[in-house]
Amino acid sequence: MSTEYAHPEALVETEWLEQHLNEKGIRIIESNEDILLYDTGHIPGAVHIDWRADLQDPLIRDYISPEKFARLCGRHGITPETTCIFYGDKANWWACYALWAFRLFGHEKVKILNGGREKWKADGRKMTREVPNYPQSNYRVPPRRLDKEIRAFADEALAQSQAKKPLIDVRSPGEYKGEITHMAEYPQEGVLRGGHIPGAKSVPWKTATNDDSTFKSAPDLAKIYLEQCGLKPGTETVVYCRIGERSSHTWFVLTYLLGLESVRNYDGSWTEWGNKVGAPIERSGGS
Amino acid sequence: MHPVKLQSIIDLFDHLPEVERRETLVAYSDSAPKQAPRPNEKFDLEDIRKDEECADTVGVYLQVDEEGKAHFRMTLGPEVQTLTRAMAAILCKGLDGATPQEILDLPQDFVTRIVGADLVRVRSQTTYYVLSRIKAICKVYLDRQRAKQIA
Repeated sequence: MSTEYAHPEALVETEWLEQHLNEKGIRIIESNEDILLYDTGHIPGAVHIDWRADLQDPLIRDYISPEKFARLCGRHGITPETTCIFYGDKANWWACYALWAFRLFGHEKVKILNGGREKWKADGRKMTREVPNYPQSNYRVPPRRLDKEIRAFADEALAQSQAKKPLIDVRSPGEYKGEITHMAEYPQEGVLRGGHIPGAKSVPWKTATNDDSTFKSAPDLAKIYLEQCGLKPGTETVVYCRIGERSSHTWFVLTYLLGLESVRNYDGSWTEWGNKVGAPIERSGGS
Repeated sequence: MHPVKLQSIIDLFDHLPEVERRETLVAYSDSAPKQAPRPNEKFDLEDIRKDEECADTVGVYLQVDEEGKAHFRMTLGPEVQTLTRAMAAILCKGLDGATPQEILDLPQDFVTRIVGADLVRVRSQTTYYVLSRIKAICKVYLDRQRAKQIA
């Protein structure tokens, strides 16, 4: 069993980032659930990307067009060659979501700050309210989104379930069992039914993190996902949660830390599946 | 019709461009710790709890003076979100001096005028949470007053 992450270059530590804040060719991007958190203070030089206002289409439940993505990047001085280092609150849920969205548009150079905002703050590292202003860049409009490669839609999740291929439900055990339709401590987001997609295994996202919000070691992750959950390299795997942010976290773990090659994030997740006419569900049981 | 202090806050936010709205909300959030109870302050009711709708414990403290006017203090756990902190500070100031019945009758539509449509989203429904907690403590107070009168 490897003691190294499959792609260790996909993570940076807080100490390293503090020493490279002004390095040319990187852009630090904060993405949070708390929509005003960036305004209260952020890593010096970091820009803010709002998971909804910046990445989602306002009228269709979908992501922005490649043209809008190019404009978003241009506004922050990002080019296709820029290394984007994402971090945020909630142990990097939304940072992983934003990273995954950048990958949807084919942006290659992406990294996560291990431990996210919580770790940076707990380390006592500098934060500022100064909003940086980078020269506008000219980001080439991506030719397409990588929907087929890293994103799953409801019909594909159904096919995955019917083919008994790996489906990972990363929500809390209560949500998985159908006892609750939302995370504890969160408002109900309009889901009519509780439960999980038939055949899905329960591996809550938090299983992959330490108490300080950093990722667990490669051997620990391999034990959880490869040994206990039975995931295999090369096998198509679909992950989901409620709106796709917690599953982005697990998608990052499986894709970059464990090196699984065919992992897709079903971003419609339970807010779609739990309301969808004709979608089968299971309650309790499972694994 | 809103209480006078709340109306002046609403009027302020009504005319703010989006960037300044965010800055003002953050400033209110920064001032939220000042709403905590002072040493030796006495209250008619205290309601400290952790609800599913909110990420951390929120305490609401109500004191009603001889003229029947309400005064609030609030405590907020460290995980409480910025917008909720801002609303706590805004409502402690804006509802100060209103009667519990006026607060109970207050429609909640003013919240979007303060926060702005862009910041009200499913995951920030907790913007309404602080108002619901303040209304709840006012209702308990009024129910107890009515029970006393009947007795």
